[in-house]
Amino acid sequence: MTKPVVNVANAQKVFGKKSENQFKALDNVSFTIEEGEFVGIMGPSGAGKTTLLNVVSTLDKATSGKIEIAGQDITDMKQNELADFRSEQLGFIFQDFNLLENLTVYENIALPLSLQGVSSRKIKPLVIEVAEKLGIKSVLQKYPVTISGGQKQRAAAARALVHEPAIILADEPTGALDSKNAHSLMRTMEQLNQFHDVSIMLVTHDPLSASYCERILFIQDGNLYKEIKKTGDKQHFHQQILNVLAELTSIHSL
Amino acid sequence: MLVKLLSSSMKKMWKDYLVLLFGLTISIAIFYMFETLAQNQAFLEANALISSIVFVFHVGTFILALVTIFYIFYATSFILSLRQKELGMYMTLGAKKGKVTQMMFLETLIIGIFSLIIGLVFGVGLSEGIARLLMSRLDFSGEGFEAFYPSSLVTTILFYFVLFLLTAIVNAIRVARKSVLELLHADQKADTKTIKGWKTFLGTLIAIVLITVGYVAMINMGDLAHLGVLIAAATVTPGTYFFFMAMLPFLIKRIKAIRSINEKGLNSFTYAQLNFRVSQLTKVLGTVTMLIALGLGAMTAGLSFYHNTEIHSSLMHGYDIKVHQPTEDELAEMKNWELEERNLYSYRVTDDGVYFSKHDLQANPPVIKEIGGNLEELSKEVRLTDDLTAPVYTDEETDDAESIPEQWQTALRTELMANFYLFGDRTLYILDQEKFEEINASTQTVLIGKVDNFTDYTDTLAKIDERHHQLAIDYTGEDPTMIGSKYESYTSLKSLANGTIFMGLFLGVAFLMMMASVLMFKLLSSATADIERYQMLRKIGVRQAKLKISIYKELFLVFLFPGLIGLVHVLIGMEMFSFILIEPYTKLWIPISLFLVIYGLYYWLTVKMYQRIVLPKD
Ligand SMILES: Nc1ncnc2c1ncn2[C@@H]1O[C@H](COP(=O)(O)OP(=O)(O)O)[C@@H](O)[C@H]1O
Ligand SMILES: [Mg+2]
Repeated sequence: MTKPVVNVANAQKVFGKKSENQFKALDNVSFTIEEGEFVGIMGPSGAGKTTLLNVVSTLDKATSGKIEIAGQDITDMKQNELADFRSEQLGFIFQDFNLLENLTVYENIALPLSLQGVSSRKIKPLVIEVAEKLGIKSVLQKYPVTISGGQKQRAAAARALVHEPAIILADEPTGALDSKNAHSLMRTMEQLNQFHDVSIMLVTHDPLSASYCERILFIQDGNLYKEIKKTGDKQHFHQQILNVLAELTSIHSL
Repeated sequence: MLVKLLSSSMKKMWKDYLVLLFGLTISIAIFYMFETLAQNQAFLEANALISSIVFVFHVGTFILALVTIFYIFYATSFILSLRQKELGMYMTLGAKKGKVTQMMFLETLIIGIFSLIIGLVFGVGLSEGIARLLMSRLDFSGEGFEAFYPSSLVTTILFYFVLFLLTAIVNAIRVARKSVLELLHADQKADTKTIKGWKTFLGTLIAIVLITVGYVAMINMGDLAHLGVLIAAATVTPGTYFFFMAMLPFLIKRIKAIRSINEKGLNSFTYAQLNFRVSQLTKVLGTVTMLIALGLGAMTAGLSFYHNTEIHSSLMHGYDIKVHQPTEDELAEMKNWELEERNLYSYRVTDDGVYFSKHDLQANPPVIKEIGGNLEELSKEVRLTDDLTAPVYTDEETDDAESIPEQWQTALRTELMANFYLFGDRTLYILDQEKFEEINASTQTVLIGKVDNFTDYTDTLAKIDERHHQLAIDYTGEDPTMIGSKYESYTSLKSLANGTIFMGLFLGVAFLMMMASVLMFKLLSSATADIERYQMLRKIGVRQAKLKISIYKELFLVFLFPGLIGLVHVLIGMEMFSFILIEPYTKLWIPISLFLVIYGLYYWLTVKMYQRIVLPKD
């Protein structure tokens, strides 16, 4: 746990053109995520969580600042380099599942490998391995509409994992799940992190989901507000999180 | 309340509704356009080279109606796909099923009637515009053609009204049969039905049998006549749809099943795009194929009639050029022509006779055309022999002289143009040198010749014919209605063919326009769903270039199959005309390469447009 997998320095993101009224969604945010860490990003709605994740995930460009992932500076990369970088180094899980509904679960999971030119002979064992890990082996031949929300999110996780990216980025992955499925998905992510050394950056506004993380960054109006580390057990961490959120809302209501 | 909701949501999705209206409007306009010709019997009969043209148009109406039914059912199912989620939402809010069903029914019907009104206005305008354009291009007066034709209007209204009523009922039934949840989640539903092996086999078998029967009927059109046209229409059309229903899903499935292909790059996605709504796709592709076949067929047939006028006019005339009493200027001009054969014959004209020198005729015996029993044998060219032994021959019934042998009569009357138009009722004679010199008149000459490319010289030949008319006035005292030259029969055949060409091009343009609009509709109606998919792929790191290639590939297959099968239909279909056209395949490459270029361009344009819709600008 020494090499940083994500290194964000003074990241700014301003929406709107110069001439129009501009909106600063990120204001000088700096932080690092070490290899193998499970970091949560929390904050009230509109705080800039998704913006931060998009900037880190190269889907959006920071207005200024420097962002390194797996030792590579992504701020100056071209569109094509970014696309290649995403397909090799990053894994995504979004709130609304983001599975291609015209592909079977198997094809969805296999897609990142196909895109990297992995031969179909090698693809199958890899897909099956990751599907087993996530407990969705039985639905591999089904289409996304025919499986449950929890299974969909696991399939999305499997797709994010299958090509062994440097980090998995998840934006509200439990947002559309009931609490049972949400717990089960978070437990799986925790296991991936603990037993398979997968680095994870998780955006969530759900304290229960967040309590699975090792460290949490709170952001507020585009600024880093506070950082807490898990010291005790999950219950304790959950309480800590709730306390910080209470602080945040009280500031807001002032 | 529901009506209010309905109109407000229609406003929200106006773009999608615009796409739908566009698709329906074009279909209605084209159907009407076709009917302006099909129901104008007087115009058809006056202007077509095909005797049973009215019948052919009846069959055309039948095919077009069939194709339209498939298309309209496909297009109106788009309304359902646009609205069902919302309808499901109303039901969760407490709207009754009956009410929602009624809404769907009314909406489909209203959209139908609305597009019917626009479509008819558009159709009248389009008929007028295209007809005008073609008439001026073809130098064709087109008398009797009416862009606003009431009976066609009535037919179109009736046909579409019934069709929209039916589709409204179908849409309503579909809504009624679905549960709230099914409605809510309908937009994600794939119809990648697992088609049973035996069904594919049966479908393919039916397709092959139907198309084969149709082809055989078309090839034997000469014997089957009307029955053949009916058989071909009733087999090839459903056969084509069967082909796409059975073969296409099967083919894509097969390709997808080959893992080394499917799991290469973006292929799994590209084929999934084709596979996903395969039943809609089969309707589109079947319709497009038939429209290509009809459009390209109409154009090719029209142009084929045009190119056959040259061949037709050669049927009667052994020589391309026939000049009585050529002037110095004409002789000088003709020196530059590459004549394959050039014969000069002397003759003298008196008040009651035209006398040819046997000597000249025997020195260079001309050829004549002998018409075979049917068109397939064409006419044979026969070179006459110098078997004229008697001193005097005449075409008058007399005991004094032998009568001119039949072949020689043809030679003189047709090839040497010693005919009634030019010389009136003068008697024809062939005299030996001695008798010829005794005739008290000056010696004239007639020049006949063959050229390689007859149509290159039409300008000069027109002038020569004008002089022939003057000559006829001098000899007979009146201007004849015709003169009997090859140029003359060429121009009159061509003006006759113009009517047929007009119809061919008019319909060709109409059908190909509808084909383009059907493809466009397919594209635009699936674009909204595709935007999300391409976004997703971009997020997980697919290069823009790869996405572009995937679009090229997907649309290539969408364009390839209808283009290919449509083309085969046309190639075989042209056989139908072999009983009225001498060489139906003459210059076939012209309309076909024209089509390929336009189709290819349209493909490219479609790809570009689609890429603009679903991919962000780089
Ligand atoms: N493309 C955009 N253009 C303008 N403003 C945006 C854009 N995306 C997000 N914002 C604004 O930036 C702020 C942060 O948004 P976001 O990062 O989505 O918040 P959240 O923390 O809820 O994920 C919000 O106020 C939002 O309105
Ligand atoms: Mg967000």
